[in-house]
Amino acid sequence: MSELKFILNDKPVCVEVEDNARLLDVIRDTLGLTGTKEGCGVGECGACTVIVDGDAVNSCLMPAMRVMGKCVTTVEGLAKDGRLDRLQQAVLDHHALQCGFCTPGFLMSAKALLDKNPHPTREEIKVALAGNLCRCTGYEQMIEAVLDAAEREE
Amino acid sequence: MQRFTYLSPKTLTEALERMQTYAGRIRPLAGGTDLMVELRRDDGTLSGMDYALDLTDIPELTGISNQSGRVTVGAMATHDAVAHSSVIRSAADMLSEASLSVGAQQIRNVATIGGNVCNAAVAADTLSPLAALDADVTLQSVSGTRELPLADFITGAGKTVIRPDELLTQIAFVPLTGWHTAFVKLGRRKALAISRMNVAAALKLEGGRIAGVRISPGCVFASPRRVSAAEELLLGSKPSKELFERCGKAVSEEMVKITGVRWSTEYKYPALSAIVSRALCIAAGIPEEAT
Repeated sequence: MSELKFILNDKPVCVEVEDNARLLDVIRDTLGLTGTKEGCGVGECGACTVIVDGDAVNSCLMPAMRVMGKCVTTVEGLAKDGRLDRLQQAVLDHHALQCGFCTPGFLMSAKALLDKNPHPTREEIKVALAGNLCRCTGYEQMIEAVLDAAEREE
Repeated sequence: MQRFTYLSPKTLTEALERMQTYAGRIRPLAGGTDLMVELRRDDGTLSGMDYALDLTDIPELTGISNQSGRVTVGAMATHDAVAHSSVIRSAADMLSEASLSVGAQQIRNVATIGGNVCNAAVAADTLSPLAALDADVTLQSVSGTRELPLADFITGAGKTVIRPDELLTQIAFVPLTGWHTAFVKLGRRKALAISRMNVAAALKLEGGRIAGVRISPGCVFASPRRVSAAEELLLGSKPSKELFERCGKAVSEEMVKITGVRWSTEYKYPALSAIVSRALCIAAGIPEEAT
């Protein structure tokens, strides 16, 4: 076991983790934030996407110990003061979810994109979301939601 | 998940010392996008691995630069960094394109070019452009540094000559400044698909004629290599679609010559010819309407 300190959703956390733990397991099981989902477990579906120091990553492929001292944002960190993030609101407004399992991952990929590129083109959005699979809603509404969110005030 | 002790050195010296101390029981962890999956499979193939050496916190391994006529890429440069590096965009655009075609954004943010080279998968996207660039790799250990051509480093599918105490630290090549390059990949879908086949091609045009050419197909041979028999067909000629189609066939002929006729040849032969011809057309700026 090793001690792991990092910033999770703007708050410092310190947890004991196994050396071989995945970031996904620490977020869900140790810290109890179950918004981040495990889909494929091999980096193909994007359901486990979180943001580490500004980059969208698959938390199922990341050794937890690698985030030592880094800033991690999960879907729970999007809403501020009880208000949904503009991306979350746009997803609701555009009916861009059905079962919702892929939604947290989509939101985090889209969030990482807008943080780096506030006004992406449709093509840039498609590239940013290509690593997130959805098996029920389809992608068109997601793309519309991100385009719309980019136009809204933060 | 297989158990291991996690090590996170902050300097290359420290990393090399760890590799020396635990040689045979330690594995470097670059991006981890392959190794984490293998470790979780826990099927005994990595059973001798007691230590994971995470290289992500070593700034010396991530730089990309072009100095005195040589481009160097740190082994821990991510595919995202390679894809967007202005140095690589101008020195070897086909390498940027190859990195851009790897996985999806989440994978490109962590997976590295050094990991791609060391895994030496037949379908590795960056191996074709690196072979086309006649790239060299630098291997370092506590006992010294050696540099060798990529073609000598990779000896077969998944096989390299790296020693248990060595780390691949850098990839270097002479920039193809002024050349026109292309990378074409055939996969089942655009994102997150490994290459079924790919090709990196580069052309140097002088006075409307081809003065230099590099063609390196991927997923075709056990280890990456240029196809000189096909390259020679183009030297001194004017670029044309017909010429490039003939060249594509020559690359397919070479594939059959090296690997023999297989059940898949009926598909691979025309597919490889087509992507070679397409890559050359893109590089030369010739419109290649579907035939």
